Amino acid sequence: MKVLIVDDEKPARDRLRQLIADFGSHEVIAEATNGQQALSMAAANSPDVVLLDIRMPGIDGIETAHHLNSMESPPAVVFTTAYDEYAIDAFEARAIGYVLKPVRRERLEKALEHAARVTGKMLKQLASESKFQSRRQHVCARVQGELRLIPIDSVSFFIADQKYVTVHHSDGQDLIDDSLKSLEDEFADDFVRIHRGALVAVDQIDRLQKNDDGKIRVVLRQDSLADGDELIISRRHLTDVRKRLKGG
Amino acid sequence: MVAKSHSDNSESQAYLPDFCTGGAVIVVVLVAELVAILLTLAAHNTPGMFMIELAKTSLFVLWLGILGSVVMCVFRDRLESAGKTLAFVVSFVVLEILCVVLAEIAYQVTRIFGESVIIDDSHLNFILRTFAISSIVIALTMRYLYVSSEWRRSVVLEAQARISALQALIRPHFLFNSMNTIASLTRSDPRQAEEAVEDLSDLLRANLSGSGHRTTLKEELEVAAIYQRIEKLRLGDRLSVRWNIDDLPMRALIPSLTIQPLLENAIYHGIELLPDGGEVVVTGERDDEFVVITIANPVAAGKERSIDGNKMAMENIQQRFALAYDNRASVEVDEGNSSFEIKLRFPYEERST
Repeated sequence: MKVLIVDDEKPARDRLRQLIADFGSHEVIAEATNGQQALSMAAANSPDVVLLDIRMPGIDGIETAHHLNSMESPPAVVFTTAYDEYAIDAFEARAIGYVLKPVRRERLEKALEHAARVTGKMLKQLASESKFQSRRQHVCARVQGELRLIPIDSVSFFIADQKYVTVHHSDGQDLIDDSLKSLEDEFADDFVRIHRGALVAVDQIDRLQKNDDGKIRVVLRQDSLADGDELIISRRHLTDVRKRLKGG
Repeated sequence: MVAKSHSDNSESQAYLPDFCTGGAVIVVVLVAELVAILLTLAAHNTPGMFMIELAKTSLFVLWLGILGSVVMCVFRDRLESAGKTLAFVVSFVVLEILCVVLAEIAYQVTRIFGESVIIDDSHLNFILRTFAISSIVIALTMRYLYVSSEWRRSVVLEAQARISALQALIRPHFLFNSMNTIASLTRSDPRQAEEAVEDLSDLLRANLSGSGHRTTLKEELEVAAIYQRIEKLRLGDRLSVRWNIDDLPMRALIPSLTIQPLLENAIYHGIELLPDGGEVVVTGERDDEFVVITIANPVAAGKERSIDGNKMAMENIQQRFALAYDNRASVEVDEGNSSFEIKLRFPYEERST
């Protein structure tokens, strides 16, 4: 099996590599020092197993696992952590294994064996069941086979168009796999639905403006006014939007 | 945002006893009765009149005790929030006023309804006598309550400090990560693994000997340096610590295990969550009669911080400072968007030889 090691601490990465070298039956194809790096390495090298530390700077292991789960053929995720306070999060992420540090040879071997038995189909099934309890810090876009993370703070709105959702952010726009409904549920605190196919970041809204044809639209803080048609508020959502803008 | 905190008025630290409970009422009745007996015994009694005199005195003293308890029960919360000294002064004055008013009512009632002379004293004399006696009894009681509440408070504080020191000692994240590091080093760099085991042992020994005592700054800083060495193995170049401590008087005393847990906080909540790491700056200086130590670290901006863990270590240190220095020491926290700073200020003391 091809293994990707993800840990921000060098001694921890070394230990995993030493142990895997001892087993002789697996191959470490890459090492990443943070979640971001892990995602691009996973996209580039398609590993079978990702050994994933949970507490890391930037995107932590749990969030990384959820982004990995959204891949076309998700790898098996085995968490490695010093302390089992994250067991529930790990379970929700549908991890294949959970190894406590200091890592025991037998435990790691067992976890890898277990991961080897899980088929791609099962992994995909598991990935589709995974739930992210806390709000993600990023959404994940796929640009020519590579994963790109877009910080949720930089998103001004999501537009659903038939099959895909487009995320408009400070660096442009990208297609993502999440459904508008799941985004609305996850980011309910910061985003408001303005019509059937659009979610707008509340703190990006500058004001509401009445068009010549009597329709009311959202004006964003950094508004090119080019997105005019997409940001017209439907009558059904108008009261709700007004309430949210008043700080409700 | 600068938050300066003193110890709160939690139930365990209340200084006025709770007069609203049945137990307290029984104690008040008992004390009142004892005072009544004392007063009656001390008075010149006509033989055979003892029980009658006792009944009269008891009636008055019991009224006083029970009404006093009611007053204290109703106003306790407000008095507690006024601060310790003020609370005792106000309670004393209020109870004295109550005494005088009751004495006046008692005098008037016996004059109107009493056929025989129940109070065989002039009006002014009676009031003054009541005032003097009650002053002494109330003052004694207050003093007793004050001392016992202080004693109770220090016991509770000490117990809490011990418990949180224990919890701080076994911060599992640190312990297991260090063990993992050592497991890794035993192969790649046995010599460093050896040193790490020695360092970890020294650190655990320092923790096990507890936080109940004071140590010199020199020793305290050594423990912190050992801790830093262990973390450095794990975090590598991501961690750097700058020690600006040349002006610190190394012989000054400090409650043990103060700096190391704060350094641990700075690393756990700050440096570890920054992809490129950062620098913890420990600054120490002497300010006249005080020693001031500041520990500053960068934090990942916009990241939800696990404030709870931080708070626990902070409260622990505040409690221990309060215990060791009363209110002559302060712990100040300055929390910016991308930085965190904690400033300790405590009296400069040396071990007497």
